Amino acid sequence: MSGRLVLAAALGAAVLAPLVAPTYQALLMLPFMAYAVALLGLNLLFGYTGLVSFGHALFLGIGAYTGAFLTSVFKVRSMEVILVAAAALGALVAAPVGALCVRYVKIYFGMLTLAFGMVFYTFVLKFYRLTGGDEGMPFLRPALLGRSLEGLSKIDYLVGPYYYYSLAVLVLATLVMWRIVRSPFGLCLKTIRDNPTKAETLGIGVARYRWYAFVISAVYAAVGGALLGPPTGNVDPTLAYWTQSGNIVFMTLLGGFASFFGPVLGAFVFIYLQDWVMSIVPFWRLIFGAILAVIVIFAPGGLAGLLTPRPAAAPRP
Amino acid sequence: MLTVDALDVFIQASHILRSVSLDVGPREVVCLVGRNGAGKTTTLRTIMGYLRPHAGRVEFRGQPIHGRRTHEIAQLGVGWAPEDSGIFADLTVAENIEIATWTRSGGRPAAERIALAYRVFPMLRRYAARKGPELSGGERKMLSIARALALDPEMLLLDEPFEGLSPAIIPAVSAGIAAITELGHSILIAESNIHHVPESTRRLYVIERGTIVFAGAAQDAWRDPSLTRIIGSAA
Repeated sequence: MSGRLVLAAALGAAVLAPLVAPTYQALLMLPFMAYAVALLGLNLLFGYTGLVSFGHALFLGIGAYTGAFLTSVFKVRSMEVILVAAAALGALVAAPVGALCVRYVKIYFGMLTLAFGMVFYTFVLKFYRLTGGDEGMPFLRPALLGRSLEGLSKIDYLVGPYYYYSLAVLVLATLVMWRIVRSPFGLCLKTIRDNPTKAETLGIGVARYRWYAFVISAVYAAVGGALLGPPTGNVDPTLAYWTQSGNIVFMTLLGGFASFFGPVLGAFVFIYLQDWVMSIVPFWRLIFGAILAVIVIFAPGGLAGLLTPRPAAAPRP
Repeated sequence: MLTVDALDVFIQASHILRSVSLDVGPREVVCLVGRNGAGKTTTLRTIMGYLRPHAGRVEFRGQPIHGRRTHEIAQLGVGWAPEDSGIFADLTVAENIEIATWTRSGGRPAAERIALAYRVFPMLRRYAARKGPELSGGERKMLSIARALALDPEMLLLDEPFEGLSPAIIPAVSAGIAAITELGHSILIAESNIHHVPESTRRLYVIERGTIVFAGAAQDAWRDPSLTRIIGSAA
């Protein structure tokens, strides 16, 4: 029950943040919420299915570029259309990529996803005329729920309607993912992580379930990627670079992949910690590297693992 | 129900099974007895589709299943309780049983299948909320069999259900298996200890170095002095 209280408090704080927190801090919530959506999906693959993707920036990139193309090339400004299109394109690309990748596990899976991620990165970087190359593409201010909101200043738009829109998407994505992991389908994914050969004896087609998890995680990443666009107003290839894939894996480890909300917590801490460390020292990556090492060695369960004490192990019979 | 015909199986370069044939009829309980390393587990793993036979056939309800994928064979109605139990550590006992009702739906309703699993192994109900690592070896074994049963299979493969168990828990496992043999499944049990063979076993196959050396009624096996060396030594 205390978990629900914490959750309600966190949601309440998120609702109040734009009203009480400094604008700058509220703005930082936007990338957090976008990453949180992507991480919910990534963790279905990582935490629940046991596959570590080092190429999920590919799908962040697809989501973000979908929004950029729709708003600046096709003059489609509806955020709902952008999100649906991002999800659909994410699934469309993930279907063949996933079909190839899920045939491999462990490091081979990771390397293959990394390779596909880099193919996409190189594509958006080099096809200058299509994607704007390293300059990127503008992601024009999207209309929310059919309201254009062009009259607002950028800050008012972002910490106002767009903030609550992102929050609503995050809440919805969380509810859907909660249902997914609690369903028999979610249980099947866990059995695959635990012991794929034994999962087969229950009639579970392991490769097919891994593929489902891959495609769902890609849809989440694409939706998260689309949400990342409006705050900066520009989408460039660094979003699809492999360090982005690394960052979201880091966020997942930081928060704890064994917990449903761990990765969300990880995204939150990552975003704010990165901002704070960057404001103090120029070599923030050094600090983050050290933090990652400490987590892997001393707290493999991540921050969520530290917060929820493990039940004492039963005595071995 | 299940027919294994002249199976030859290699694991890498080793010739493990040499022309192994056996069959299990409808509602029949058959035991495959042999010493460790004789090829019992390899036979079951081949039936289950983990190993591809070099030659020979496996038929289940009249259709060939060698060459099918493991999950397809399970879907057809072959339940497997492996030697190492293979229960899912991150799932509770209840979830371990329930999942089988979902992965192979159809047939009897899930609630009935779950109730049956607990009726056969009542001890498991007490541990319903526990997870794999909190169970003893015997409890894992029971869970593994209960899970295979919850799949509502026509055929059950039990690989060494008594192996490595403490004597204290053997009666509970034994009672459960005896109860299962009353349910009307076809059952193939691999066993290294002849004393564990359930009483309802009509027919016995004895396997030695990858070859079936005896096939027949259980009581006849005892009369053959060359066999008592094999099956009698495993006590």
